[in-house]
Amino acid sequence: MGAAVAVAETAYGVGIGWRPEISGFVAGLPGLRFAEVVAESVHAHGDLPDGLPALLDRGVAVVPHGVRLSLGGAEPVDPARVTHLATVAARLRAPLVSEHIAFVRAAGVEAGHLLPIPRSFEAVDAVVANVARTTAELPVPLALEPIAALFDWPDDELSEADFLTEILDRTGALLLLDVANVYANARNRGEDPLDLLNKLPLDRVAYVHVAGGAEHQGLYHDTHTDAVPQEVLDLVTELCARHRPPALILERDGDYPPAPELTAELDAIAAAAGYPAITT
Amino acid sequence: MTTPTSGNPRAGGGPDATGKHGRAGERGGAGRGREGDHPGQPGGAPRSLATRQAELVEALTRAKPVPEGFDAVKVAAARVALLRKRAGEVARQWPMLAAGFGDRWKASFSSWAATQPTQGSLRDGWDFARDLDGRGELPAIAGAELAEREARWSYDGSAAPRTRRGPAVRSAAGTFAVQVAGHVRIVRLSYAGTRSRKPST
Repeated sequence: MGAAVAVAETAYGVGIGWRPEISGFVAGLPGLRFAEVVAESVHAHGDLPDGLPALLDRGVAVVPHGVRLSLGGAEPVDPARVTHLATVAARLRAPLVSEHIAFVRAAGVEAGHLLPIPRSFEAVDAVVANVARTTAELPVPLALEPIAALFDWPDDELSEADFLTEILDRTGALLLLDVANVYANARNRGEDPLDLLNKLPLDRVAYVHVAGGAEHQGLYHDTHTDAVPQEVLDLVTELCARHRPPALILERDGDYPPAPELTAELDAIAAAAGYPAITT
Repeated sequence: MTTPTSGNPRAGGGPDATGKHGRAGERGGAGRGREGDHPGQPGGAPRSLATRQAELVEALTRAKPVPEGFDAVKVAAARVALLRKRAGEVARQWPMLAAGFGDRWKASFSSWAATQPTQGSLRDGWDFARDLDGRGELPAIAGAELAEREARWSYDGSAAPRTRRGPAVRSAAGTFAVQVAGHVRIVRLSYAGTRSRKPST
């Protein structure tokens, strides 16, 4: 765990999810030290996406964030996908990689999205086995992200906090905590998001996601295409009052707003977390 | 323009490209629909996580029944959100196809895709465009986009598209694409004039 502790002790501050559509904006952030890139969008060989090499040359830590490994699948992870993630991590000289506690396919059919797994011991076993298969090949630590789920399984045996703690304890993985997911799940389940924050091992948080969403027909959707609500920023403040994570990134995945709006969101996250602004 | 492979770097030969949906015939087997047929409830044969995950994916991607015990309203909301997300991704790969539907795009694509699990946004858009073209319903402004890709790439509908080695002529919605040595010339029959495009890089 030596490397994992080193990652957690480096304070990067506020960062952003790099996407090709906002590459120019990201390149112009003077204080940026931490960014994330969707692992599957980076080729294992051949050129890196335009804009990423310049960030790496500046010394920005760029973390590959996998979305299609399906660590929560009952089936073993695809070795080719693990190799790809490991190769991309090495190419980016990343301090860590991240993936989700979710499944994205079953019996050869792609769901097209991150789906929740039951909070059961059987599912914990599946995740632990797949994480072991993955970390055996990774050159750096792995952080696991709990997802926003629009529905739950009927056979949940564990509370969310116990489920996540069990997985982290048994895998030795770090936690990628998405405060927007915490907010979305609590809101849709009628729970208090602070209850989860108070029970999670916050010293295991490698970094944090912050994103926007919107309500449709009574359910809050973690869209990544809407503004970050004040409630999510308040949750950032609550989190940092308990244990400030080394990095927090803004995730935006479409309907990109004008640069001043992205700047304002990054500044708001910095203010909520007590980190310096990276935009000036 | 976007090259067909750029949206999904793992489209070629990855496990998603197989198009196979073979799974053991556990669905609808003993216990399905009965009380107590999931683990944790006495009296029902335990069904594996793999089986139950596959059932959930079937419900979300092929509009099959929502497995027992789930909140059907919430699963339906997830299914709709999933389709709208796919529609947005396909629109980025097939901008003229989406433009041809205007503000009806998400509803139109979602209606078609509701029973078609994704094969990646490139192939999803391609399959939808071919389906429309076969019914004579491909919007005219989307003709060049489809014809050019048909001329440039070989796509059998079940595996990742591959670059054509030889010349090809393809048409869609009244637009012809002529590809020779990687250069594609677009010929619209609906009005005079031609234009050529350099090969994608």
